[in-house]
Amino acid sequence: MTTAPEPGRMDTSNAIKGRSLLDDARRRLAQNRAASVAAAILVLLVFIALIGPFLVPFGYDQVNKSDVLSAPFTHGHLLGADDLGRDLLARTLVGLRVSIAVGVVASLVALLIGVAYGAVAGYVGGRVDELMMRLVDVLYALPFIFFVIVLMVTFGRNLILLFLAIGAVEWLTMARIVRGQTLSLKRKEFIEAARAAGLSTPAILLRHIAPNLVGPVIVYVTLTIPTVILAESFLSFLGLGVQEPLTSLGTLVSEGANQMELAPWTLVVPAVAMAVLLSAFNFLGDGLRDAIDPKDR
Amino acid sequence: MGRISTLSRAVAVGVCAGILAVTAGCHKAGGRAPCPSGKLCFEATNDADPATLDPPRTSLTIEANVLSDLLIGLTDRDAAGRLSPGMAQSWSASSDGIVWTFKLRKALWSDGVPVTADDFVYTFRRLEDPKTASDYAYLFYLIKGAEAVNSGRAPLDSLGVRALDPHTVQITLTHPAPYFPEMLTHNVVLPVPRHVVERYGDSWVQPGRFVANGPYLLKSWTLGDRIVLEKNPLFYEAQKVCFDRISYYPAPDPVSAERRFKAGDFDLDIDFLARRARYLRRPDQIPKAVHTPPELADTYMTFNTHFAPFSDQRVRVALSMSTDRDFITKALTAAGEKPTYGFVPAGTANYDAMKAPVWASWPFPRRLAEARKLLSAAGYGPTHPLRFELKYPNGIDPAVAAAMQADWRSIGVFASLVAEEPQIFYQDLPVRDFQAAIAIWVADYDDALTFLNLLQSGTGGQNYGDYNNPEYDALLAQADHEPDAGKRAAILERAEALAMASANIVPLFGRVSRDLVDPRITGWVDNITAFHPKRYLCRSDAAARRAAG
Repeated sequence: MTTAPEPGRMDTSNAIKGRSLLDDARRRLAQNRAASVAAAILVLLVFIALIGPFLVPFGYDQVNKSDVLSAPFTHGHLLGADDLGRDLLARTLVGLRVSIAVGVVASLVALLIGVAYGAVAGYVGGRVDELMMRLVDVLYALPFIFFVIVLMVTFGRNLILLFLAIGAVEWLTMARIVRGQTLSLKRKEFIEAARAAGLSTPAILLRHIAPNLVGPVIVYVTLTIPTVILAESFLSFLGLGVQEPLTSLGTLVSEGANQMELAPWTLVVPAVAMAVLLSAFNFLGDGLRDAIDPKDR
Repeated sequence: MGRISTLSRAVAVGVCAGILAVTAGCHKAGGRAPCPSGKLCFEATNDADPATLDPPRTSLTIEANVLSDLLIGLTDRDAAGRLSPGMAQSWSASSDGIVWTFKLRKALWSDGVPVTADDFVYTFRRLEDPKTASDYAYLFYLIKGAEAVNSGRAPLDSLGVRALDPHTVQITLTHPAPYFPEMLTHNVVLPVPRHVVERYGDSWVQPGRFVANGPYLLKSWTLGDRIVLEKNPLFYEAQKVCFDRISYYPAPDPVSAERRFKAGDFDLDIDFLARRARYLRRPDQIPKAVHTPPELADTYMTFNTHFAPFSDQRVRVALSMSTDRDFITKALTAAGEKPTYGFVPAGTANYDAMKAPVWASWPFPRRLAEARKLLSAAGYGPTHPLRFELKYPNGIDPAVAAAMQADWRSIGVFASLVAEEPQIFYQDLPVRDFQAAIAIWVADYDDALTFLNLLQSGTGGQNYGDYNNPEYDALLAQADHEPDAGKRAAILERAEALAMASANIVPLFGRVSRDLVDPRITGWVDNITAFHPKRYLCRSDAAARRAAG
């Protein structure tokens, strides 16, 4: 939304290009050093999670019987090996890949459900809103861990289900945030104008409400991803996560914690990777919030 | 007998973590429970809370642990796990081994009512009563009429258990069974007090109502916190019981339980993590507290033999050959487990464990090459690789399955691993909803038959691989009617060799108990039955502590 210059002052020869809110946000983000560094680290992490496993001479599921619990820098293992002699670097990289994938996919699931649900509830309002939000309240009361355990026990463990299960729980907060935003948006003049122009409700939701929600939603998604990664780690720690020989950072930390006196590197390596990943997401999320919503500063 | 899984433990941690976040309501870690002055208290971990303490409804070792302090059966075990008189002071069998007579000692229930033969008749009828729905009713089908009673085809009083007089119980069997007194130590036939059960119904097991005939009374039971037992002054050997109070703490996380043991919170921690044995045995750690005697239990692989690929014996043998049991027991289950090639574990009474096959001593690459030959003979090779799904219950170290998977991959066999919650796993297997699986069988009594019966063609659900060999069945039947222990063992050994040659099941390794026992505790004797009633235990400084208190 740019304000049109006053007609009398219009100078066509030297037009000042207007700055959109998005440009402002981008500039503020660039000025926030922590957020920029976090963004750079994230790009780097995603890159090495994708490429890294191909560069390590060991497969993540390759058992080396003579290298059981070998220390870092021995037997060709840069970061040591676990109690099956599997290379810890290769496993950490694959774990990183799985954790990022779970984080992103589950957050997208939460995003889709949450935005659709919250926007409809907020825009339609009245009894429908009342009913939809009470349902959210009820689901909030459902213990997350029981929900996931019931899903896993009934349908067996698989990665897709894990994505869906976590996403299906994380959308609740998203729905609340979106509903609140929609409530304030729907009284705005441009919505009334659209309605007066005869646009249908779905069209208004899609074309006018949704784009104006982008700010808070992006912020919330960046903060959801680390929550989801932690949730997956928690489930893996409890033995409900991914199946052997595939691994995730949470599974690696859990295994490492059982061996930490004998082989501290099996705990330290994945724990550091997880800490860096989570901090990067959180710093970036904070930065985005500050950049997009200047009122919050 | 079932074993509680790591998942169930994990669920408890999750719940606890969830509650902790809201109310900090979980039992605080750290600190030994205070003991009343002048008393001696014993603090022990249990893997989880028992589902019930009603004997016929129990099926897990966590329940047997607590019950062994509360109730004493017809026969019992001493500190070393050997058969000893319990409520029955003596017993004898008729010359054909069919009719057993048990002479009861004079003993009282903890409410002062005498324990009579009638209580035992009631106990056995309750076990076989279809209304009780005991998972273990089948174990005593060798009692005359039991199967008919349990399936509802005959009235309860047709069961072959009679009270000849208030102190004599007579049990009639369908065939001779020299191991019958062994079986009577099982927790599902621990006596229940008829007068209490009839008054309160199934809720008789609640603290305050529970009436015991053993060394301890059920004082309190707080779910998720602890079960407290107190000395029973009316127990027939009460003067020999050392500890005044026993507490059982459900310890969902084995590693934190182990750390609390080291801090002195517990005198006994059961089922510590096998992989931690190597660390705990280090001289600067607690080597004297680590107890890992072999246990009568097997970890084995079983196959769905109705369908390809496992209808082919060569495929099963190839997988057995290419499983590196030595690596698994050395690197992963490092508590002292031993590779096994026969189903009946070493140490079983009156039995010689099967010897390893010739290929077991070959270098591993040669075994892999041989396995590859068998597979290609069965039609599997680079162009047509063998793929299947291997199921295992949570509680088996996933790294064991991963190690097997890696070796198989090296000969072109691709297994995908599926870990399941034990309740689900042990439902899938009886309906044959699996291709290959790793299962555990813990002996119900100290006799080879508790294992070999699983492969009998009439066993049904628990004969997961549907082994059906008339010759095998005939050998087991012949053993049932062989009074001489030595000849009987020889017949059973022939049967076992027959079954193992078919590779219908593939034994992997024998299990060990994994207990941490405070070195000051006296009276603890490692034994193969993993049976450790607390009444045999004491503390080396007990006298001094009592005097000080």
